[in-house]
Amino acid sequence: MIAAPGQGLALARDEGETAAARTRIAVQGLAKRFNASGREFVAVDDVSFEVKQGEFVALLGPSGCGKSTILNMVAGLLPRSGGRILIDEDTVETGKVNPRVGYVFQRDTLFPWRTVEQNIGYGLEIAGLPRAERAGRVASAVEKAGLSGFAQSFPRMLSGGMRQRVALMRTLILEPEILLMDEPFGALDTHTKLEMHKTLLEIWERERQTVLFVTHDLGEALTLASRIILLSARPGRLKEDFDVAIPRPRDPVAVRETAEFGRLYSHIWHSLGEEFRRTRAD
Amino acid sequence: MSNSRAVILFWQLAILAAVLVIWQWGFDWSKALLPKAYVPKILDPYFVAKPTLIWQSFLRLGCFADAGGFTACVTGNDNNLWLATLVTLKNTWWGFLFGSASGIAAGLILGRSDFLARVFGPYIVALNSIPRIALVPLVILIFGLGDLSKIATAWLVVFFVVFFNTFEGTRAVDRDQIAAARLLGASEFTVLRTVVIPSALAWVFASLLPAVSFALIGVIVGEFIGAERGLGKLIIEAEARANASEMMVAIFVMMFVGILLAIAVRSLQSYLLRWQPQFEPSA
Repeated sequence: MIAAPGQGLALARDEGETAAARTRIAVQGLAKRFNASGREFVAVDDVSFEVKQGEFVALLGPSGCGKSTILNMVAGLLPRSGGRILIDEDTVETGKVNPRVGYVFQRDTLFPWRTVEQNIGYGLEIAGLPRAERAGRVASAVEKAGLSGFAQSFPRMLSGGMRQRVALMRTLILEPEILLMDEPFGALDTHTKLEMHKTLLEIWERERQTVLFVTHDLGEALTLASRIILLSARPGRLKEDFDVAIPRPRDPVAVRETAEFGRLYSHIWHSLGEEFRRTRAD
Repeated sequence: MSNSRAVILFWQLAILAAVLVIWQWGFDWSKALLPKAYVPKILDPYFVAKPTLIWQSFLRLGCFADAGGFTACVTGNDNNLWLATLVTLKNTWWGFLFGSASGIAAGLILGRSDFLARVFGPYIVALNSIPRIALVPLVILIFGLGDLSKIATAWLVVFFVVFFNTFEGTRAVDRDQIAAARLLGASEFTVLRTVVIPSALAWVFASLLPAVSFALIGVIVGEFIGAERGLGKLIIEAEARANASEMMVAIFVMMFVGILLAIAVRSLQSYLLRWQPQFEPSA
């Protein structure tokens, strides 16, 4: 069974928090084709969705389904082959940075020659914020990330989880209204991952940025997101789109014991299973 | 225990003492003990002098043993040891500075521009294939016997070494780090200043240490071929008089100059690259 685009939208919407909010990200008929050694292959095919103000949307799909490609096109890091992307009703231009948008990478992209506080303060520094004003904001960000005592450390002295906290704060300190995250916790061990979920949930439940979060981790998507967009295996097409009606504030461990978590988990599990079987049959 | 500092120091001093003893008395001893055919020529003081002779030459060239006093000796002799060292050091320094500065600049520009790299690529490869030493007579013809030709020679040697490393270092910058900087609001110039240069610095420094030695080689070779002053000139003059001990003095002074320059570059390196594990201040 392959769902036509938009068909999954028919699933019940039962989380009211996004109902009347304005659209921040609009993806319309998005396509991406690559040329690999003379052969063209379709990575993303006719994907359309919207993300409203204050929504936490997880883009979930099997590996290689093009979900990171979609995110990179939304961020303007990658040119698109077809379709449109609007952020706040402005078309996204490749290579042009939107100051309202923050991006967190899957890979460690900290600057190893800068200390933790210099990394976190990078965006403020190059924006020309005076040193005194910068110091205060950096100090509070360092504390918020639970990195007090490590402000003067270089990234190589930190664990993977701590480094990803620094990366998160380096983006969040610029107070982006829209946050694009590309499997930011993909490389972390389970325990560290849960701690990062806790940190991110605390921040998001307080500040309510609009988030588009790419992941292949079903549990992660259910823990964090208020809505999940499920993509099919390659070429990436929209398969399902549904709300995650688990009440907030959420705890990354306790959330797994809720009935809603279990129900959605098994539903998505079977839905993803179909995709894996389809990939193998190719 | 066998590699504790004291043990290592002991062996280092023991080797030094053994070398000095063999150098000083080895020839006399082997002449007295061995048949003539087996006496090693390499120990002949006519070729390699002796530590005591070298010391005497050092005192004489360095104006420590002059009857007329230190000042009169230094001002009276155009190419005394002090002046020669100073001239060689100065030319090495400027050659190194100009060579590495232009090498870094060219490496950054070509490393960041695919177009320029492709246009200039073949020329750089062609120029780099010329053995630099072959150009020294030409350089002296153009710039004369003075200091300028020595600086130009050192520049020639240093430029390419530093250029290639800077170029590779600029190419090796993590693309995601550049993307991250852009997404945090960095302009093209800010990316260059805050990401490309610091990231390429490790590569640049990897070339600066050999570049210092190369600069010294360039200056000395320039002085060999044609010069008025300098340590190289001192060696050529001593050679003309078959004076091995004076040559040895110049060689040892060069060694110390080389060591001092290397230490200077190393300390700058370990400060600027303190974020790298191998330069971590030892705990």
